[in-house]
Amino acid sequence: MPNSSIDIINVIESKLKDKVQIQKGQLSTAAITVSNGLHRDVIQAMVDADPYTAISAITGLDLGASLGVYYHVRTSNAFLTIKAEVPKENPKIQTITDITPSGVFHELEVSDLFGVAFEGNPLPGHFVLPETWPQGIYPLRKDVNANEVKLDPPLEEEKKPSEGKLVKIIIGPQHPALLEPEKFAVTVDGETVTKVEPRIGYVHRGIEKASESRTYLQDIYLVERICGICTTIHAADFCETVEKLLKAEVPQRAKYLRVIALELNRLHSHFLTLGHAGLEIGYETLFQYFWRDREPIMDLIELTSGSRVYPSIMTIGGVRRDLKDTDLPKIKTTLIELRKKLPFYRQVYENEPSLRARMKNVGILKREDALKLGVVGPVARGSGVDIDVRKDEPYEAYSEIPFKEIVYQDGDTWARMNVRMDEVEESINIIEYALDHLPTGPFRVKVPRVVPPGEAVNRVEAPRGELFCYIKSNGTAMPERVKVRTPTYANIPSFLKTAIGENIADVPPNFVSLDPCFSCTDR
Amino acid sequence: MIDFMLIFRILVFPGFTFVLFLTLFCDWVERKIEARIQNRVGPMVAGPGGILQPLADFIKLLTKEDITPRDAKKTIFKFAPLVAFSIMVFAMAFLPIDGGSVISASGFNGDLIIILAFVTIANFLLFLAGWASCNPYGSIGSARVLTQFLGYDIPLTLLALTPAFIAGSLNIFSIAYIQVTQLLPFILLAPWAFVLFIITMQAELEKDPFDIPHADSEVVGGLETEYTGGKLAFLHLTRDVQIVFGAALVVELFLGGPYGPVFFGLPEFWYSLWFILKLLAVVIITEYITTVFARLRIDQVLRANWKILLPAAILSLVLTVAMVTWIYPMVV
Amino acid sequence: MADTKTWARVKSPWVLHFNSGSCNGCDIEIVSLLTPKYDVERFGVKLEPSPRHADVLLVTGAVTKQCEERLKRVYDQMPQPKFVVAIGACACSGGVFNGCYNVVGGVDKVIPVTAYIPGCAPRPEALMDGVVKLLNALSPPKPKKQAKQEKLVEAPKEEVKPPDAPILEVPTTPILQDAKSIIEETKLDAKQ
Repeated sequence: MPNSSIDIINVIESKLKDKVQIQKGQLSTAAITVSNGLHRDVIQAMVDADPYTAISAITGLDLGASLGVYYHVRTSNAFLTIKAEVPKENPKIQTITDITPSGVFHELEVSDLFGVAFEGNPLPGHFVLPETWPQGIYPLRKDVNANEVKLDPPLEEEKKPSEGKLVKIIIGPQHPALLEPEKFAVTVDGETVTKVEPRIGYVHRGIEKASESRTYLQDIYLVERICGICTTIHAADFCETVEKLLKAEVPQRAKYLRVIALELNRLHSHFLTLGHAGLEIGYETLFQYFWRDREPIMDLIELTSGSRVYPSIMTIGGVRRDLKDTDLPKIKTTLIELRKKLPFYRQVYENEPSLRARMKNVGILKREDALKLGVVGPVARGSGVDIDVRKDEPYEAYSEIPFKEIVYQDGDTWARMNVRMDEVEESINIIEYALDHLPTGPFRVKVPRVVPPGEAVNRVEAPRGELFCYIKSNGTAMPERVKVRTPTYANIPSFLKTAIGENIADVPPNFVSLDPCFSCTDR
Repeated sequence: MIDFMLIFRILVFPGFTFVLFLTLFCDWVERKIEARIQNRVGPMVAGPGGILQPLADFIKLLTKEDITPRDAKKTIFKFAPLVAFSIMVFAMAFLPIDGGSVISASGFNGDLIIILAFVTIANFLLFLAGWASCNPYGSIGSARVLTQFLGYDIPLTLLALTPAFIAGSLNIFSIAYIQVTQLLPFILLAPWAFVLFIITMQAELEKDPFDIPHADSEVVGGLETEYTGGKLAFLHLTRDVQIVFGAALVVELFLGGPYGPVFFGLPEFWYSLWFILKLLAVVIITEYITTVFARLRIDQVLRANWKILLPAAILSLVLTVAMVTWIYPMVV
Repeated sequence: MADTKTWARVKSPWVLHFNSGSCNGCDIEIVSLLTPKYDVERFGVKLEPSPRHADVLLVTGAVTKQCEERLKRVYDQMPQPKFVVAIGACACSGGVFNGCYNVVGGVDKVIPVTAYIPGCAPRPEALMDGVVKLLNALSPPKPKKQAKQEKLVEAPKEEVKPPDAPILEVPTTPILQDAKSIIEETKLDAKQ
């Protein structure tokens, strides 16, 4: 948690007193309504005052006659929403990417899905939608029925003449290194990378639009399938946002049970990444060992919820099922066994020469770049940026459970993997504390099906970083708008920067160290 | 006059068929060792204990559809795998497996040099195979093969000359025979050369930690990317025969070849048995090294070659010359 | 000769994994198959990097419109004989995402499928069962061995109940209602 005493609302009030309306206490710290153009001044003031300022997400909204562009900005100790509006007939707004580079991807997505033109950050072709999607049809607008859209015929591949000795290597969409389809066009000069151009959108299923035609309860099962690895945290984020709209108070026992489920999810996700990194550097033995030790965690997840990959334990108002007292000894013994295996892996990371040769000083992300690009999660904490939503804005029972925040200063692949290894130990500590201090009482509370109109934002700490959710409800049983911003979406721009100048052989370990999850990115 | 014995020796034992089955057997041994170190079991279903798995892989590949990409260089694409395989099997013919080389009159006084040349030619043909497929991954993979084996050929030759120097001959048969009759096996007389030779052989055979041409997370299939069917079968076989050949060379040069105590009956039987046992020991050691290390980057591999292995190989030769000239006559 | 061919093909199925828009749940279970607890290499299954080397294509994910063309291309690059296994509810029919605007919905709308393994996500045991069933379907049954087995194994005396008899009691008040009925209810609530 950054040690900061900056009162950001004071700063904005002093600089832009009468030009903006500030509603304190709304949408986390404050909601600031601006007229067109002033959003730049607000963000400029924040960036000047606080180095931790970064765009967390940009939500597009269809407000009928106009389109809403909401900037959700995170600082060292506050989370603000700046609301701007553009008319539908002329949806132009100035970009803020020159003030803070952390907003590039977010602006491109709003351009693609809503049709807002950001002056200074033009949209090249399509960003998240497929290349053959017809221009001018914006699926997330309310007046568009996206299911009836006919795609253009497939594009002819242009054979561009090769630029001298620069070779373009396409990584993906079918590639053994990536579990998921994405395309990265890596331009190399000999063996050194000069440019990386990503193409995301291969896993874009349109979850945000689909959630508008399902009830809140059905949406839990849709939103948790954004990603099969960090599924529990997606469900938790969604449920917490809806509970904020309902002003429902989750019982204490449910909060602790949620923490246990979330930390088990974090454990299995970190083991997955640590093993996958081994596969990328050709270290199959390490991959097999990590995944062998991941199986007891999957058994625990199945014990507490009934399913390995999709526990589906979260529901609005609490958890779906209780933890039996007869299961507690089994959980405790498995965790003790897991803890005993960690010194072996630590020793491999410290002493194994081939591993250190592949991971040390590879993909270095400097602290200033990490702050400017707004990266989150272990990527940020591996570069010395001490942000962790569990400490900055505690949710569930995290304010009552003591644990350490893991920060490394090196900024290379080795540091990021070490952050995850240490977080494994901290997760084991958290689960053991929660099991020892599990309060009695109900494990869920009944909530009404119809949600009163309003807006809410919520942030949680997914295994990959800060996960953000914004829900706007219109008083019916189905949400008006659900916006999810996943941590990998915020972290990919850092990869585009750290890969340049490196050897092409360093691209896979560097890539895996930011723990990319493209189903999260594309939704 | 047809020499049936010669034809038998060439085609069946210890010639082509024996080498083929020995290769498939060593492939099975490697997969089992890799699996056991990784806490798994390895192939189990094809045959008892999975021993027929490599044979099943080979036959299955032969029955697949054969695809030649439109832009590939047809002749090289089609024949490079087969020619590389034939050269490697031919190189095996010079090694004494059952007491004498396959073609007993073929051993001559420089055959150590010529089989090292065969290894280089086979590697070069593999490079051509990847280059001829006109696929970006194939080109990168084959470029890496070229860089790696050209670099490592030099220390390999220098280290192979060490046992030749101690034995005073470039004839493989003599080198192997002398270790058992007059001197001690060279693993004891020049252990530094043995260790360096094993490391250089790992690089020459493209096994971890020098596994880069087959790094599937970077170059997909490497030079094999566009190959299907029978040609792929022969590419795989070439690599496996190279591994067996490398291990066999270690056995001949440092462990006394097939020669060992003969208890009763045919000396050929005992010689073949000792050969196979020593070969398996070397294969197990190299596979252990493969499994335990990660894969190094190409620039680290090249640095290891030019800055570490080559000077070490030169030093090893100098040391061996010094030992042979001054120390050993007093001791042995 | 044909027997040897089939034997070799059944004992050595090399797989290629392609994700056509999946949430990763099925993909992690596929990768789990290679790990010590399940160890699919026992059956000779190897994960291959290139489509040209593989026999079986494992497809996960509801096919997104961006991936449709790529999936076809990967399928075309594989040499005959080739088989496609659709893994997970999304690959079988689109799953939860059926009807979403960027989703084609089901692999069999794009390429011919040999086997379907349902589940969300299917357990590694289910995946292995599917793979083994596919391999058994490829090799023709051997009549001699079957006769021997019939002698040794007794037919079960009690018949297993067919699945149309419900196992769980369906609660009288449905937990999930469809959207339309909820809208009607809320309109009534608002009126009151």
